[in-house]
Order: sequence, then structure tokens, then C-alpha cells
Amino acid sequence: MSKISRFFKRFYLGFILVFLYVPIIVLIVQSFNAGKSRAKWEGFSFHWYQELFKSVSIMNALQVTITVAVIAMIVSTILGTLAAIGIYSMKKRQQSIMMTLTNLPNTMPDIVTGISLMLLFIFTKVDRGYFTMLLAHITFDTPYVILSVMPKLKQMNKHTYEAALDLGATPGYALLHVLIPECRQGIVTGAMLAFTLSLDDFTISYFTTSPLVQNLSTLIYSATRRGIEPTLNALSALMFIALLVLLLIVNRRTKESD
Amino acid sequence: MIEQEHLIDLQHISKDYDGVTVLDDINLYIRKKEFVTLLGPSGCGKTTTLRIIAGFETPSSGKLLFEGKDILDIPPYKRRVNTVFQKYALFPHLNVFDNIAFGLKLKKMPKDEIKRRVQSMLELVNLTGYEKRHVDALSGGQQQRIAIARSLVNEPEVLLLDEPLGALDLKLRKEMQLELKSMQQRLGITFLYVTHDQEEALTMSDTIVVMRDGHILQIGDPKHIYDEPANAFVADFIGESNIFRGTMVRDELVAFAGREFPCVDFGFGENVPVDVVVRPEDITVVGEDVGQLVGTIRSVLFKGVHYEMIIDCGEYTFKVHSTTMQPQGSRVGLSIVPFNIHIMRPMDTPKREAADDAV
Repeated sequence: MSKISRFFKRFYLGFILVFLYVPIIVLIVQSFNAGKSRAKWEGFSFHWYQELFKSVSIMNALQVTITVAVIAMIVSTILGTLAAIGIYSMKKRQQSIMMTLTNLPNTMPDIVTGISLMLLFIFTKVDRGYFTMLLAHITFDTPYVILSVMPKLKQMNKHTYEAALDLGATPGYALLHVLIPECRQGIVTGAMLAFTLSLDDFTISYFTTSPLVQNLSTLIYSATRRGIEPTLNALSALMFIALLVLLLIVNRRTKESD
Repeated sequence: MIEQEHLIDLQHISKDYDGVTVLDDINLYIRKKEFVTLLGPSGCGKTTTLRIIAGFETPSSGKLLFEGKDILDIPPYKRRVNTVFQKYALFPHLNVFDNIAFGLKLKKMPKDEIKRRVQSMLELVNLTGYEKRHVDALSGGQQQRIAIARSLVNEPEVLLLDEPLGALDLKLRKEMQLELKSMQQRLGITFLYVTHDQEEALTMSDTIVVMRDGHILQIGDPKHIYDEPANAFVADFIGESNIFRGTMVRDELVAFAGREFPCVDFGFGENVPVDVVVRPEDITVVGEDVGQLVGTIRSVLFKGVHYEMIIDCGEYTFKVHSTTMQPQGSRVGLSIVPFNIHIMRPMDTPKREAADDAV
């Protein structure tokens, strides 16, 4: 009995990691499989990677994904940073109301956000497509930026902004040369988080775009209905690695700023 | 004209926060090159007064004159005052040099001129050679010096200091008090200083303004405030005091602690209730048979320079400071010379003119 418990004690974490990462490793290995079969190894090849970059629909989707992520990141970082500074300078009560409102969308299931945005666009008669998907991404990115900038503002001496004004800085100068540099770490973390979330999103994108404009996640989803092409293995492998790198950077930054 | 001497004039300044009155009809002027201290317990409105002058708060009513002109509509960055904040509020993303040069760069001063001025400021605050240091790497005292340098380098007409020494330890605080005072005298800049530390106020100020609950209780030089407190609160807040409720029997005779004492005050009327204040060092311990009062020593504490004795005289308790000690439990006599008995009406709020006349 104690032997078994000791065994589990030692290997429990190992099991979890194996179950988490083995599928991904299989996927990456498969992406280098020369054959089309998923059951048989037919030799190492970059064939599917070549196919991947030749595929117009995948390349279009990749372009949509990346441009949406970059634009959403930039816009939501600006909006989120300004919002955080605005909320920070509110009175205590208003501040806590605003922070609750900021947290709420993050706790909401994506599908609720997705459907509600879809209904909004239908209701306002805005044709769904690239623009509406971008708006949706900005919408769900912004609270995360606020949440990463806010702690930086709170750590700051509460008179820092006043000190800048006192020394002759106009409010605009104080914002650009004191407040924003003071919370730069939080802003960069927020931006990276926004980019990652946007890159990663499927549910909200699915409801807010049209079938004509697809990003990678919606494209893969529709592709699965026809059976998965091995090119998608290659694509998934690349996405996994890109996101992994980004997450490592974000984690490192948050650790540093603590 | 006296009016022209006034650098800053607060006229009928009041401030409410959501219906709570923080300042109630404050009238105060500050002369050029004067060291004025706003002194009072926390919540008395001293910091709010300072922030109104700096431009961070707008009063609900009243006027703020700077060299005779109303400056309430002028934003903080255009006022010729600079502030040294509580806990310094340095810019952590900038090094020492850039912190001090912040205001000068905004004035578009040439680079070598900025460099020269920052150097001389660092010299003034004894931190030469610290230019490239990160402000987070400095000690509290050093950060405070940088904060002072950052303000003074702009050559303000008035330097506002909001409890600048509050975060420092006692020894450093005493050193900085003397340094600040000598800096102020050398540079000839008007200082408006906010503190709740009465000793700090007495050490540094030309004029002390005692505040409580949004009112000014007394304005005067340190000696005047200490020797002639306007009311029992001031007496208690500035230094230690024995405070009794008493009755002014007639001119130069007051009754308190169960008997009548000759005093030097007059003009209160007859049989008027008053507050009576006697400083602990003004009570003399004498023989049991010759004292005006007789009491038993309840406790004796050694305080370094003197002994502090608590003496019970019937239902009244006196605190007495003396350089000689009487054993605990012994019976002693107490005597107070008429000059050292301070009579005051229970609470009034004088204007500065009245206080000046009294000096």
C-alpha cells in the first residue's frame, strides 16, 4: 500500500505533464511525417510545411490572425492604459465600481461575450467581417490591459503626478513623461497579454466574423468538418511554438515587475 | 505699506468635501522670506491649506492672493511655488540628476546651465557625486534631500513642505531641521511648512499657525505661542501643560484646584469661567508648610534633563518638572508665581493682526 502511495507521490506530477504535453508532442512529430496517415510513420519531411505556406486560405487566415492581433493589441493597450489612469484618479467608491465592471467581462464565458457581440452587430446592422472581429478583439483585450496597468499605478507614490505638475509639467507632459514611464512594465505586459489572447481566441472570433473572413482558429474549426489535413498539424505546431515563446516572455516580465 | 509685504494672502478660505467642512474661513498672510509653520493634529486642515496654495485643491470659497493677485484660476504648473511632498514622490524611472533637472528641462534651459545648477543643488544638500544614482537605491534621508533639491532648483518664491521629515528617524530629523532652517536663511526663500510635531515647529519657525478642525487657533512667533497660548488646546498641543477649569474671581485673582491664586491677568470680568494653564516647569516644589497647595507624590520619572513628578493634591493632579527629585509618596508643597499662571477664555479664534499686536 505504502509502496503504491510512494509511487504516486513521485510520479503524480509526471503523469499530469505527460497527459498535457504528449498530445502536443505527437502533433509536432506528425507534422514532420512524410505520409498522410496519422497511424504510420513514413519518414521525416518538411512536405506539410511547404504545403502550408502554399495554401492560399491558410496564408490569408494567418494574415487576418496576425493583423487583428497586432491592431487589437495597439488599440487596446492605448485604451486600457488611459482607462487605468482614469480609473486610478477616481474616488474610491467609483474606482471599485469601475474595477468590478472591468473584471466582469473576464469572468464571463467567451461564448456569452461572443454571442452578445454578434447580437449587437446584428442589431446595429453592421455587416460582420474583419472589422467587427477586430472590434470584438479590442473589446475583450482592453480589460486585461487595465488589469495589468492598474497595479503599477497603485504601487506609485500617490503624489508622483502632482509632483510633475508642481515642477511645471502640463498634464499632457506629466502623462507622457511621468505616468506612462512609471507603469511601462505593466503596459508592456498588458500589450503582450492582449496579443496572446487575440492570437488564441476562437469562440469570440467565430461569432463576430463572416465565413468569408477567417482567422486561423475559425479556419481550422471549419477544416475539421472535412477531416484534418496534415498541413494543419504543421500550422498548429508553429502556433504552439509562437505562443509558447510569447508566454515565456510575459511570465518573465511579470516576475521581474513583482 | 504692510499690504505689499504680503507674499501670499488667504482670505476667507473654506473647503468642503462632500458636505464635510475641512477648512472654515481661514485668514492668513505670509510675508516674504518668512518661515511659517502650519501646526496641528492630523485632520486639522493644514495639508489641505498647503495643497490649496500649491494648486492641487480648489477651495469652496475665498480668495488666494499671490503678490496681490488672485491665483485660484492658475494651474499648479504655472504657480511660482514648489512642493516637497510627504514621502518625497521622486520619479523612480529617472536618476538623481534627471529628477533634479526635471523642472529646469521644462523651462527649456540650456544643457550646461542645467548641469551647473543641478551640481550646485547637490552641493547644497551634500550629495555631490550622486548624479547617476538610481533614486530607489538611496536612503530615506538622501531621498528627502533630493526631493528638496528638486524643488529648490526651480528657485520658487515659496517652498511648500508637507511633513517632509515625517518618515525619518529622530536623529536625522533633528539634523534636517537645522539644515532646512539654515538653507532657508541662506537662500532667502519663503517656507511654508506643515507638521504635527510641535518641537519641529518651535525649532524652525518665524511664525507658527496652530490649527484645529479647520480653524486657526493662534498665530504668533514660537515664544509667543509657547508663553501665551491663546487657549487650552494650544497650551496642551505646544509643550506639556496642566490645564484646569477655573473661575476669574476678579482682576488678578483666579480660583482653581480648590483655592485662590494671585495672577497677572485682568479684564476678564468677575466670576467668569476660564481655562487655567500652568506649565510643568513653572511649578516649584517647596516645603509642605510653605506651599500654596499640599500634595503627595504619586510617581517620579527620570526624563534626562529633568524629573517628571505626578503630584496629587486632593482631587487635582499636577505634572511637575524639576531638576531635583523628591521620593515617591512624600508630602510636598507646591507654589506658582503669579506670572506663570496663564488664564484663557475657553476657545476663541484670533486674527493674525490681533496676535501680532500682542507680541
